Amino acid sequence: MPPKKFTWYNGIGLTLALIFALFPVFWMVSTSFKPSNEWVKQPPVWISGNATVENYLTILWPSVLLEKRGGLTQYTEEGEQKVAETTGVGGAVGDILIKSAWQAIWGSIIISVFATALSIIVGLMAALSISRYRFGGNTTPFFILSGRMFPPIAIAIPFVVMFSDVGATDTYWGLILAYAAVTVPFSTWMLKSFIDDLPKEIEEAAMMDGLSRWMAHVKITIPLIKGGIIATTLFILILNWSEFLFALILTYTKVATIPVQLAKYFSATEGALYGVQAALATVSIVPLVIIGFFIQKHLVRGLTLGAIKR
Amino acid sequence: MSDNLLELRSVSKNYGKTQALEELSLALPKGSLVVLLGPAGAGKTTTLRLVAGLESPTKGSVWLEGQDVTKWQPNQRNIAMVFDNLALYPNRTGYENIAFPMHLARVPKADIERRVSAIADQLRISHILGRVPATFSGGERQRVALGRAMVREPKMFLLDEPLSSLDFMLRIELRTELKRLQKDVGKTFLYATPDYTEALALGDMVCVILKGSVRQLAPAQTLYDRPADRDVARFVGNPPINLVRGELDRVDGRASIRFGNVALPLSPEAERNLPSGVKQVEVGIRPENVVVQRQANAGAALGRISDVEPLGMHTAVEVDFQGAGLTATIAGEREFEENQPVSVNILSETMIFFDLVTGKRIGA
Repeated sequence: MPPKKFTWYNGIGLTLALIFALFPVFWMVSTSFKPSNEWVKQPPVWISGNATVENYLTILWPSVLLEKRGGLTQYTEEGEQKVAETTGVGGAVGDILIKSAWQAIWGSIIISVFATALSIIVGLMAALSISRYRFGGNTTPFFILSGRMFPPIAIAIPFVVMFSDVGATDTYWGLILAYAAVTVPFSTWMLKSFIDDLPKEIEEAAMMDGLSRWMAHVKITIPLIKGGIIATTLFILILNWSEFLFALILTYTKVATIPVQLAKYFSATEGALYGVQAALATVSIVPLVIIGFFIQKHLVRGLTLGAIKR
Repeated sequence: MSDNLLELRSVSKNYGKTQALEELSLALPKGSLVVLLGPAGAGKTTTLRLVAGLESPTKGSVWLEGQDVTKWQPNQRNIAMVFDNLALYPNRTGYENIAFPMHLARVPKADIERRVSAIADQLRISHILGRVPATFSGGERQRVALGRAMVREPKMFLLDEPLSSLDFMLRIELRTELKRLQKDVGKTFLYATPDYTEALALGDMVCVILKGSVRQLAPAQTLYDRPADRDVARFVGNPPINLVRGELDRVDGRASIRFGNVALPLSPEAERNLPSGVKQVEVGIRPENVVVQRQANAGAALGRISDVEPLGMHTAVEVDFQGAGLTATIAGEREFEENQPVSVNILSETMIFFDLVTGKRIGA
């Protein structure tokens, strides 16, 4: 594609698109620093004059916040637990304030990373066998995709039943398996399109040169579709990171993820704790932004090569 | 036991319902260069892939140095192959591409360097060894692919239309080079091409494959002069051979062949080759054996020029005989015009006869 000239109407279009895309992010970050009386104020407060970190303290170090407010809430050595003597940010009381969001943050990291790795490994094998050995003929690729053809809630109920039977609810490995199962169709199809774009003669040349079939895939195919694998990995990671439904119904107390935790910041008297939710949401996008920044080069190339061709 | 390096024994290959190869048998003596000649889709590539081990036959077996290797993986066969699309490793430099097979064989680094630079000299690609394939010209890619095959000491070489992507001059040059290389290294080559001039120029033996089976395995010139059947005759030669349906007349011990309004006498030698029962045959006449003259000659057939097409060294002229047409190639300097009446002579010794039903060549 020849480089396009930058014109004034292009500039206006891009600016509008950028505002449209980035406004929610701006609003999220802005709200995360607002005190509770500014969350839903009319007219809206764009950038708070009384910026506070209380929302962040609530999710990350709630005890610091409560001590600051004079109400001591701590676990004693005997395990006895005192109730908060004051309300936290936005009128939140009790459990919400005592527990930080760290469990959910770690839960999201562990589950997303392992589920993504599992999904990519399984998807890559499936993609190779479908693309190179026509495994399962014409029907298997569509059969794999069929899991995505109806709303997730339809398969969520059976998941709950099955998971209860085998004791997989409220466990890390259970959620990892569930996420991998749900994302494998995507990873298979995306990776398949990258492999399809690579002439199979390159691997065959490597076999003639002395590599076994398996090693030809490991040493030749995989390095050549590296960009595609990275792009697919990021895509699956985002899916897993932001998944809500399965995490909600398959976890109770021992395991949590960020999206589920977000929904818990809700108080009986004040409604949704927008500032706290915004703070956790802001925290949750940081890892993805960092990863995205580092793999940007591969991502752009990966997405233009292969993903939508054919 | 024979000293054939490679043998394909009635190999069939089906892809689903389509049959790519049907009962194909072929033997290559050690040190020979055999050209697989056939149009696109005839089964050339499939044959090479079966020999390479990249495909396994539906029926039949592949033998290498007297061993049944049908079930062997490609990397166990020690055969080098140059692919149709060359299939260089795009992420590796020219040097790394050529060195890769030796690298896999764990050859010491110094030996690899020596060998790669020797081959690069031979192929005149030393200057591109440090660059990646995306920066190569077509000819350079071709040579790197050849180098990657030559760097090893394989049992044999498979070349799948290796010169197809090159322009004409380069093709001629590399073709000559390839033949010299084959003589130098004394290895067995199996070379697939759809181009009969390339086949004639290269091969000791040419194997014509049509519709998945071997039609003829013969030295190049035999293929041209004595094709096994109508299809082979048609595929070999440009402009293509004239094929006309003729009636055989035998009167008073003198035979002649008639087609359209033409009757041509047959020499006793030509006639002796035709079995006595035969009444109708298909006659094949190479364009260069059709002699066209301006003035009417006794015993010659009369026709009109219907088309003139200059081919550089030759000119192809179409002669119309009211119902039958013949193409003739004549030396460039002679000039004919359209609609010009001419007389045509054809030496019966140069005629090739085919059975009307089976298409097989009749006679010795």
